[in-house]
Formats: sequence, C-alpha cells, structure tokens
Amino acid sequence: MSHLFLIAWRNLLQHTRRTLMLGGAIAGVTALLVFLTCLSSGVGKTLLLSATTVASGHINVGGFYKVTSGQSAPLVLDYRKVEDLVTRTLPDIDYIAARGRGWGRLVSDQGNLQSGINGVEIAKEPGLRKVLKLVEGSLDDLDKPGTILLFEYQAKKLKVKTGDSIVISVQTPRGVNNTVDVRVVGIAQEMGMLSYFNVFVPTETVRQLYQINDSSTSDLMVYLKDRSREAADIDLLRKALTGAGYTVMDREAKAFWMKLQEVNNEDWTGQKLDLTSWEDEVSFISWTLQAVDGITFVLTAVLLVIIAIGIMNTLWIAIRERTREIGTLRAVGMDKSLVAAMFVIEAFLLGAAGTAAGVVLGCLGAALLDSLHLPVPKGAQMFLMSATLKFAFEPLRIAKDAGVITLCTTLISLIPSIKAASMKPVTAMSHVG
Amino acid sequence: MPTLRPLALALLLALSAGTPPLRAAGADSPAAAEAAPAPSAGALSKDTMVGLLKGIDTRIHSTGDYKALVYLESRERDKPDVAQEAIVYRRDADEKLMILFTKPKTSAGTGYLRIDKNLWYYDPTVGKWERRTDRERISGTDSRREDFDQSDLAGQYDPSYAGEEKLGNFKVWHIKLAVKPGVDVAYPIVEFWIDEATGNDLKRQDFALSGRLMRTSYVPKWEKLYSEAKQADLWYRQEIRIFDEVDKANSTIVIIKSVELKPLDANMFTKAWLESKSR
Repeated sequence: MSHLFLIAWRNLLQHTRRTLMLGGAIAGVTALLVFLTCLSSGVGKTLLLSATTVASGHINVGGFYKVTSGQSAPLVLDYRKVEDLVTRTLPDIDYIAARGRGWGRLVSDQGNLQSGINGVEIAKEPGLRKVLKLVEGSLDDLDKPGTILLFEYQAKKLKVKTGDSIVISVQTPRGVNNTVDVRVVGIAQEMGMLSYFNVFVPTETVRQLYQINDSSTSDLMVYLKDRSREAADIDLLRKALTGAGYTVMDREAKAFWMKLQEVNNEDWTGQKLDLTSWEDEVSFISWTLQAVDGITFVLTAVLLVIIAIGIMNTLWIAIRERTREIGTLRAVGMDKSLVAAMFVIEAFLLGAAGTAAGVVLGCLGAALLDSLHLPVPKGAQMFLMSATLKFAFEPLRIAKDAGVITLCTTLISLIPSIKAASMKPVTAMSHVG
Repeated sequence: MPTLRPLALALLLALSAGTPPLRAAGADSPAAAEAAPAPSAGALSKDTMVGLLKGIDTRIHSTGDYKALVYLESRERDKPDVAQEAIVYRRDADEKLMILFTKPKTSAGTGYLRIDKNLWYYDPTVGKWERRTDRERISGTDSRREDFDQSDLAGQYDPSYAGEEKLGNFKVWHIKLAVKPGVDVAYPIVEFWIDEATGNDLKRQDFALSGRLMRTSYVPKWEKLYSEAKQADLWYRQEIRIFDEVDKANSTIVIIKSVELKPLDANMFTKAWLESKSR
C-alpha cells in the first residue's frame, strides 16, 4: 500500500504548479472555513458569557405568580425553600444567585429609554464581578440602596455619567405606577445586544419598585461547575420540583418576558415554576449565532463545489495524461481497485496537505485579528455580541472542518478514479495523446 | 414641547377671562348646580368632598350607549409627534368600553376592549389579543383608560381637603385623594382642582406609589349634551392636556371631537366585532 502513497506523492511533486494551485485553493477554502468557525465560536462564547452574566444562569428556576388571571408577575414565592431543594438536588452547583426581574422606563434630565431591570446582590454574584468591565464608577457601590449600573449605550442615550440621578418608572403587577430615584454608580462596557436592554440595581430596589416582600424573587440563577450537565440537571430538577408539589411549566425555548405575555393571557391563578437553560433565555438572539453558522455553511459549500469541480477536472487531465501508464500497470497485473486507489490517494494527499495549510492559515488569521481587539461598528455589535471582534478556538470543531474538506476532496476523486480503473489495458496502452 | 404647559395654562386663563363654555354651560346645568356645593369659608367636610366626586362621576356617567370620536396627539422626546384618531364606544351600565383606532394607517384597526376587569388589546398586524392591565397607557400615549371611560372617583378614593385656591380666574377647591385599601388604580394618590362654580375638575395631578408626581392634566373644556336615556345632561371633558412630569418633554392632548348617544349594536362589545372592524 505504501508504494501507492509514494506514487501519489511523487506525482503531486512532479506537477508542482498544478498541485500548488489546487492545494492553494483547498487551503484557502479551509482557511476561510476555519476563520469563520473561530468567529462563530467567538460569538457563541461571547453570547454565553453575556447571557449568563446579564440575563441568565446556566439553569434558571424562574416562575410566574398570578393573583388574578389578568395580573401576572415573574415571581417565585418562598424562594428559599425552592433554593434549598435545588441545592439538595443538583450535585455540581457553583453558586446560586437570586435575581429580581422587571421592566421599566429610565428617565434622566435629557433622555429616556425602556429597559429590563435586574435586581442583584452584588456580593453573592462572583460571576458578575469577573465579567463586567467598568469604564467608570465602582461595582462595589451597587450594594448601596438607590443605585444603578448602566452599560455604555444606555449612559449615552440618557446622557448621564457616574454620580448623576435618574428615575425608574414601572407599573407593578397590579397596574399601579411606582418610581424610584437612583444614582448611577457605574458604567460598564457593552456586552452585545443583551447589554442594550438590561441594567443592574440592588435587589432591594426591585422589591421597593414592585412591592415584593423579601421571601420572593423573580429567578434563581443556577451556575454549574460542569456546564455539560445542564440538560441532565434540568431533568433532575423537574422531577424534584414536581415531586415536591410544585407546578412546573412545560419547557419552552423562550425568554421569560416573552412567556410573561403568554401567561398573562392564560386563565389560571397561583404559582407556576419555569425551568430554563441559558440558551432558552437568549433564544430570541441566538439567531445571530445561527446566522454566522449559516453564512459559514453556504460560503463553504459554494467554495467546496468549485474546489470539487477543480479536483475532478485536474484528475481527468491527469488520467488522460497517464492513460498509457494505467494501461501498462493494468497489463503487468495491477488490480482495478489498486489503480483507483492510486488516484484516490493522490486526491487525499492533496486534500490533507491543503487543509493542513488552511487550518494553520485560518488559525493564524483569527489569532491575529483577535489580538488586535478590532472595534466592531455599532450595527454589527448587536450581531456579533461584542464591541470588539472576538475569535475563539475549538480544536474539535476545527478538526471536524478540516476532516470534512479532506473527505470531500477524496470522495470527489472517486468518480474519475473508478473510471480510470475500469479502462481496458489494451485500449489504455494504445491510447495516443 | 415644554412650551405646551404655559400654553395650556394660558388657554385656561383665556377661557376664564372671556365667556367660557365651561362656566356658561356648567353654571346653567341642573346637574352642576346639584353637585357644586355652596362655597364655604372653611375646610370642606369629607361628605361634601365625596359629594363633589360623586357629582363628577354622575355627570360623566352615561345611562345609555355612548360613542365618541377622539383625537389624540402625543409628543415624545426625540420622536416625531404622533396624531391618532379613535372611536370610543361605552355602555356604562355593563361597564363595557371599546376603543378602536382608525387613523393613521399604521395604527388603524388596533383596539382595546374592556371585558369585566380586563383590558384586552388587539393588534391586527399579528391578529392576536393580549390581556393588559386596565390601568396601562393607551396606545403609547400618556392617556389611560380612565381618561375615556366613566369614573368611580367616589368609590375608589378617600378625599382630604387641601384648600381653596385660584386657578387662573377660577376659584377652585383643591382636594387630595388617596386610594382606598384593596382598590387597584393606576395612581394611588391624586390631587384635584375642582371649579367651585360648576363642580367640574379643571386640573388633576397623579402621583406614583412612591409619592412622585407622574402627570398633570388640565381640562380647559367641558361639554355637555342631553341624554334621553339618562334624562339629564351627560358631561364630558372635551379637551384634556396631559403633561408627563417624569419625562417633561412628553405630553398628550386628547380632544373629543363629537359624541353620539344613540343606541349601539347590542352585541358589539366582543372580540369578534372589533376584529371584523379591523379587517
């Protein structure tokens, strides 16, 4: 078998220009695919980071409470009991954060905007501290009542800076208007689309705004040590909560605020819990990730077709040039399958070398751009979930990309290779041209 | 936009200086005479204030059906002004209310329907109904359902006397209202300035639960028409100027262009009826 590799390799070397052109094209496509894969991984990583910082835990135990069928609120009553059950049920919890959730109007002297309001206990959310990058102010001040942390976009829209006051105006679940005056204690760097619609205030402020007592919260955000256990943990929790007598809503990949409207239309009263993963909570923006993956797929598919045509064409030429050689090999007793294998191996070697070079090129390009922290235009920030261009490297995903391209180039060579192998030795040997 | 507030006040003053329809109509009305107690040198008693509120409720209440063409104009910071037209249908005896937007094209067909204590919102672009609290803003303006509907001020609030004041050329009673326990209202604290002569409210301030002033409304024009069903005059605030006190650049003008008191379709206060009109 090794002699077939040797023949294939020597043949590639003999036709240097053709090999370089075709190999270069394969390398180019691979590099593009790897580059886009790294971008997609970067967007995915940023999405996870911003989602699990701003709006969600790895798993969320949220819920809705309806005093009457027409009045609903995102509330978990007696949440410490639920928290205790979650702690006892899941084996790998990193930490649990109780968050208050709301929606209101933020009004400054010079602007206003609508935003989600997240009530946090900053001392109990170590993840938040690690991820939020403040451009001004201090995160520690968020433990004081009557304070707020904004993102850059919101600060610009409201035309405020640290120390300025703004009013938060909301409607309680009973439809009563309420307000609270807060002081800006920090402005954080943007974290993609989610940071456009979320602000942080102390939990106490949310309670004050919505008239909630301290035994209730909106969401228990569960952070896991091993994120791969998410699905299994959700199943475990569902069983445990149902077993403990809680009504748990059917799982639906929607953010809580989308469900709130649906719940409002339903005719029931009391408490229902809702178990979601972080992906469920950001399903309304995960299309961005799917879009990047979609573009990658379409672009790669088109380029692969072009490459495949190139490879087939090159092999047809090679077979035509080497028809007499094929005839001779067949005449001295080489099996049909070995003749076919000879050409397939040639295509495989070309594909493997090309994709290897492409992986190196793609990774280098992605690493270079990542290190430059290139700023992303405003419009694209929503799409890419970050203020700077970010790439991430997932070796398994990259290896899969390289494998697919090598496999495609090899498979496409089967047609001309089998055709070559099926030639009659006499006809092949007498071939002129 | 901030110039609207002095404009409204100027309007109010202008009305008081000339021969205002408000005073002329109000003073002659038996209902107004019945509701407006004789001026008192001292503080108003609680019963008198409840009587004043009941007077407003009664005058607005329509025993038969009610249909009004309403013009809404809202101004918001950094946004173009929005003018809308809607038809308000009321059947107060059954506590029914429907608001159907007709103009502009972008909001034509949207509507609100009050069924029991729920306010349903219909969006024809998605063909869906959403249950809303009946205390929320109407069509993104500063107006509320209660600006178009009958009122139950006496039933929902406890009044307290704040003083006798002058509002332009009008002598008014300034009374403060606090919501009664267990009652849900958009604004738990309200202050009213009620014309001593007519018993009509000329100014209203709504406060949030926190005590912050949320909006100030002026009523420069009250109108009346005779209701056969009621066997008395039916009063309505022909013009309401609402100023957002949190974001002071925002304001809304509500003008009732015409009112009809003819009987309406018996089964029109249904989702199906509104949907059929939205098509």
